[in-house]
Amino acid sequence: MVQRYGLDIAGGAEYHCRLVAEHMARHAQVEVLTTCAADYLTWANHYPEGREVLNGIPVHRFKVKRPRDPEAFADWTDRVFRASHDPADELRWLEEQGPFSPRLVRHVERHRDDHDLFVFFSYRYYPAYHGLAAVRDKALLVPTCEEDGVYRLSIFPPLFRMPRAIVYNSVEEKALIETVSNNQDVPGDVVGVGSALPDALDAEGFRRRSGLTGPYVLYVGRIDENKGCPQLFDFFRRYRAETGSRLTLALIGKAVIEIPADAGIVHLGFLSDEEKWNALAASELLVMPSRLESLSMVTLEAWWAERPVLVNGKCEVLRGQTRRANAGLYYTSYEEFREALALLESDGVLRVHLGRNGRLYFDSHYTWDIVEKKYLALIAQASSGARVGELARSQADPASVS
Amino acid sequence: MTFEIKSGDVDVDAIMRMIRKRIEEKKQGLYTDEEIREIAEHRLDAVLDAHEFNSDFIADFRAQQGRWNYHFGPETIYRSSRGGVGGILETVRRILRPVQKLFWNPNPMIAALSRQSDLNTYYVHLLHNLAVEITKLNLEVQDLKNRNLQLQGRLEFQARREKTLEEMVVYRDDAAAKPGGAGGGAGGNEPA
Repeated sequence: MVQRYGLDIAGGAEYHCRLVAEHMARHAQVEVLTTCAADYLTWANHYPEGREVLNGIPVHRFKVKRPRDPEAFADWTDRVFRASHDPADELRWLEEQGPFSPRLVRHVERHRDDHDLFVFFSYRYYPAYHGLAAVRDKALLVPTCEEDGVYRLSIFPPLFRMPRAIVYNSVEEKALIETVSNNQDVPGDVVGVGSALPDALDAEGFRRRSGLTGPYVLYVGRIDENKGCPQLFDFFRRYRAETGSRLTLALIGKAVIEIPADAGIVHLGFLSDEEKWNALAASELLVMPSRLESLSMVTLEAWWAERPVLVNGKCEVLRGQTRRANAGLYYTSYEEFREALALLESDGVLRVHLGRNGRLYFDSHYTWDIVEKKYLALIAQASSGARVGELARSQADPASVS
Repeated sequence: MTFEIKSGDVDVDAIMRMIRKRIEEKKQGLYTDEEIREIAEHRLDAVLDAHEFNSDFIADFRAQQGRWNYHFGPETIYRSSRGGVGGILETVRRILRPVQKLFWNPNPMIAALSRQSDLNTYYVHLLHNLAVEITKLNLEVQDLKNRNLQLQGRLEFQARREKTLEEMVVYRDDAAAKPGGAGGGAGGNEPA
């Protein structure tokens, strides 16, 4: 179960869920339960209610009862994060956050016996919270928890103790959740997610098509304040002015904020997956300025493409992964950004070594073979029954997973 | 400062420690970039305000000289501040002035004190201008230090680039010498 699902939804927990569903379909019968929403800000119904099949996966959609009211949501957010309140206020906040789809939750309650296991993505949304609570003895949670303070609300620590197992995205996320909920007795593993890898990379072709002939730093993702883009623009412009660097900052993704008119910053718009990979291959490095990440898939993809990363060191997950992978540098101030980028720009040998380390890290932890095995092991542990336990060992006896 | 990276010897933590050390070295005795920028963005008057000077300093001094300086003219020593009685006293002093001059000559003293009063005004003006010039020079020195840092950074950057390019040549030669050696890019890699 996930709050949104669609082939046109890129990035985030939704894409994560789709990749997992498509890969786990090799081992079990998988059905996706979701809402009709496509926009994560309004949750307005976009897709038709009912069943459809996407990439071979049956998807069952339920209507959102009412779209998000931004003012009411802002008021409740103020109340639960800045004022004294009780758990009932937090539940109301959860409802206002949306997607408010009681029919989806009721469906889970009524059809709990139709499935061997429910996998819930993103703990912080209404469907996952109430759905998981309804079928806790059959639930596996993929929290995708960020350091945004939401997990500290009083309603969530009990939630983290409910599922039969938890699929964490990173060591830092696991530590965060264990600290706040004391749920060490709930089986869990740091799994993350694999990627849809390309068959080949065409860096030269991308350079020709994009007109980016010089060296460039790549950013991939929503161009948004929440992703740290304004600070990145500021740092990068200062860096060019102070060092005389000829690096370009190339941006891939939908622009939610205004991009400064600067000769050193190029917005390439929304590119296909294939072209994104080519852009990564042609880049000098990937920059990831976000402070709030539970797992940066594009960082892992950069490592697969043997490119080093420069990440926001204030994001514990990114900093931790970069240090463990030994595959990039991080910054917590402009001075560190300048020095780290200058080093990466000027030292090609360092870039090659960091990139190779990244590839080794990816191959050791994030190939689909490894990710699927970890999921199967957790499913087996969560089910603790012979039927699903056998599932982990045999593909000939598929169980049903939502 | 350059970083020596040997094959398989990359340690992100060590590199980050060196980066931080380098930043600390650069910062010693200097304003941070933010502070320099902030000062440069201020008008000079605002900087002077911060040093308890203001642009109307001279006008204020001239308007209220009596508060800090004295006026001394040829008649000053004969004046009285005793109202009506004082007027009589001043008249007696004027009448007896020739007699007084038989005992001493007050003119050099009057000239000296009068001159000193004018000099006081000039010194205040001069000190004010010096303060302004020193403040300007301070800002220029800060600016030059900053530029020096930037130039040093660029120089080190170019030196690193030069060294890296040299190493890249050696690295590629080594790779080419090994069968199936590293291509150095992602293009030749197959997904796992």
